[in-house]
Amino acid sequence: MESGAICVHSNMVEDKENVANGEQVSKKGAKKLAKAAKKAEQKAETATAIAANNAAGDSAEDSALGRYGLSEMIQSKDKRSERNFVAVHELSSHLEKGLLWVRGRVHTSRSKGKQCFLILRQQSSTVQCILAVGDIISKQMVKFAGNIPKESIIDIQAKPVSVPNKIESCTEQTLELCVEQIFVISQAKAQLPLQIEDASRPENADDDGLNIRVNQDTRLDNRVLDLRTPANQAIFRLEAGVCRLFRDILTEQGFTEIHTPKIISAASEGGANVFTVSYFKDSAYLAQSPQLYKQMAIAADFDKVYTVGAVFRAEDSNTHRHLTEFVGLDLEMAFKYHYHEVLHTIGNTFTAIFKGLRDNYSREIESVGQQYKVDAFKFLEPPLILQFSEGVAMLREAGVETGDEEDLSTPNEKLLGRLVKAKYDTDFYILDKFPLAIRPFYTMPDPSNSTYSNSYDMFMRGEEILSGAQRIHDPEYLIERAKHHGIDTTKIAAYIESFRYGCPPHAGGGIGMERVVMLYLGLDNIRKTSMFPRDPKRLTP
Amino acid sequence: MYELKTLLPQFDIKLPTCMYELKNVSLSADPATSTSSGGCKGQLRLFQSKSEFSSSINSRNSVTCALDLDILGRQIQHLLKQDDTASIAMRQEKLLQQLEALKTQLGKIRADLGVCGKTVQHTTAYQNGGLKEVPLQDIVINGHPNFIPYALLALKNAWRDLYTVNVKTFTHSTMADIGPAAREFEAKLAKVPVNNALPNINVTLIWKNCEHTEMISSPTMYVPIYGEVNVIRYLGRVGPVEYRYEGSPLCNEIDLVLDICYQLLRCSTHKAQVAMVRLLDKRLQQQQYFGGSQMSVADIGVYSSLIRIPAITDKDLTPALLAWRKRAKLVTQI
Repeated sequence: MESGAICVHSNMVEDKENVANGEQVSKKGAKKLAKAAKKAEQKAETATAIAANNAAGDSAEDSALGRYGLSEMIQSKDKRSERNFVAVHELSSHLEKGLLWVRGRVHTSRSKGKQCFLILRQQSSTVQCILAVGDIISKQMVKFAGNIPKESIIDIQAKPVSVPNKIESCTEQTLELCVEQIFVISQAKAQLPLQIEDASRPENADDDGLNIRVNQDTRLDNRVLDLRTPANQAIFRLEAGVCRLFRDILTEQGFTEIHTPKIISAASEGGANVFTVSYFKDSAYLAQSPQLYKQMAIAADFDKVYTVGAVFRAEDSNTHRHLTEFVGLDLEMAFKYHYHEVLHTIGNTFTAIFKGLRDNYSREIESVGQQYKVDAFKFLEPPLILQFSEGVAMLREAGVETGDEEDLSTPNEKLLGRLVKAKYDTDFYILDKFPLAIRPFYTMPDPSNSTYSNSYDMFMRGEEILSGAQRIHDPEYLIERAKHHGIDTTKIAAYIESFRYGCPPHAGGGIGMERVVMLYLGLDNIRKTSMFPRDPKRLTP
Repeated sequence: MYELKTLLPQFDIKLPTCMYELKNVSLSADPATSTSSGGCKGQLRLFQSKSEFSSSINSRNSVTCALDLDILGRQIQHLLKQDDTASIAMRQEKLLQQLEALKTQLGKIRADLGVCGKTVQHTTAYQNGGLKEVPLQDIVINGHPNFIPYALLALKNAWRDLYTVNVKTFTHSTMADIGPAAREFEAKLAKVPVNNALPNINVTLIWKNCEHTEMISSPTMYVPIYGEVNVIRYLGRVGPVEYRYEGSPLCNEIDLVLDICYQLLRCSTHKAQVAMVRLLDKRLQQQQYFGGSQMSVADIGVYSSLIRIPAITDKDLTPALLAWRKRAKLVTQI
């Protein structure tokens, strides 16, 4: 009854609109126009119905005419504000409250004789819809619903009813929707390059069910479809959470967000792995790190700064953890007397991010966990800080020979991560006081032992995510250290020059957002946490 | 006899400055002859191996000194007369000792460098029967905030002037909140002054959602030690000599008391707990402390266990236990 009322009402609105337009011409003309419009509308409706009938091969009279069909392209003609749309995950609070509207995608649909089961998906939530031939629904309507291609966007008017048995295949397990009207808003191609079901199938090795997988390249080639899986929805919502927490936590501590240029004149680190871009009659480089600008902001009295932005690395490394473009979360901070003031700030920022994710993103973490089986991320509060020499001692105890001034190799890094996990049960830890020899020239040496430096790395699940240090803020000493490293000081003159007008002691570090998300969730590939990844072999989409 | 031609021409050897001069053993008695013997002056170089050393001495002797029996005879006479053999023997002994020390030192350098050789094995076996001194591992203790290991604080206080128990506390991500009691415990731990001059052990205490109090010392040999009393036993071994009980005649008694504590903590009913307290009273009798007149790890165990069970009030304790508790409180200060 209610739906009928709505239909009538909407027709009246259309009529009125036509009248309003017609008044400018003449009353007669208006009437004529209105009639014509009505006729045209009826014609169109019957045409679609006939088309549906023809397709069905059934010329019997359709009792549900006008309750289903392809909606005309929405060009913002009507507001239709009388249609009350409800989100799928809120449906449970609308039980037994009558008809309502839902817009979503057809996840699956199958018709069987007089019934059609359709799973409607809205982002990560799914709900089962049912159409059964009866007073309201005709045979043709059921057939139409069964033939809507997967991934099409539809509007349905339906009544939520609770079900006695849990529906295991949907996120809304306690209810289903009894459909009364169904309109296709945007139709998908009948043939999909990948099936969402396949792309979201759990990755259990010993699963004896269907074992169809979608490989990484197919996923990335059809990223728009791939991103619709519940796990991907969760990953990128969580990634947004990491950025938001990073910003919120640092802002609260008095940091200022800055934006640094990405097109620069000289390579900031080394020079081997920079992208060259043409810059009018000259060439320029893409920034590998905002470090120089962060430090200049410190020299310019911003005290504590952070930046979130793209970072480019022209490294031809095709590994699970390298991208040529990624989002860097960098921070730099002036301190009073000891760089541990900064170290603790960064460490506590991480702990706060992890806590925020644990407390506010448990739903996302869970839905990623349903597809990729991994252990929850564990951490300690306050973060565990080990000395580099302690780490080396732990490795030696495990039977690995590594030098005191030798950098950790990737296998050693992972082994140390496992050892720390076994002993302290934490996936996050900080290694302090790295050997001076393996650090860049601008790193401040340790005053008490010249083989070490005031530098630190942070690790998640045994992989390095942040590398930072106290920077030398004295220009003369900086020149001395640069010469010691055999660096041509004329090339870094601008960098040295920025410390000539007085600069507070400072330290900082930077992390790759994609890498942090990957390691937090325990995923195996960084491409899973970059929405449109860029690597040496991929520039599209 | 006929004279042999020397193999090397006689020349002055320029000695490097890193060598030192030793008195010529054989000629020291006669300063006149020692100066005359020239190149045979007892320059002694310290070589890496004894064999090399002796061979070079031999060669030099044969090269530069023609054997003169007359001179030798005279020297022996001299020596006998001055009765200097004892001091020479002593000097020789000292020299041999120094050589031995050098040898072990070199062996150690080799071992550190990772150079493997038979000589190294030889020296280490010679050294001290293969006993190696390993620095004490930092230990990790996982505890639930509902089962606070008060023994740590008790030991820290009791060992204040003997041994430093350096406790750092962390909260594991599985614990959302550790509660007021654990926070108070943390604050109390932090209050105990740290004396870096004393021998120490680093303890990492992690509040974690775990069933038992467990201790991990090495990640490579993951053999956790469960239960607070067993942690006490471990610390009792590595701690100050005054508290090491393995060698003491009271060893069994102390272990028995600690076992009672273990059972006491596992009792679920008040009745069973009281029964355990009675057992403890039986062990204490009229002694000052459990197992004698000295405070031991057994007292630490009983004291911290009783704190963990608030159900046991003063009413449940005998006068002897109450008196003991007062005495123990002076030491543990909880």
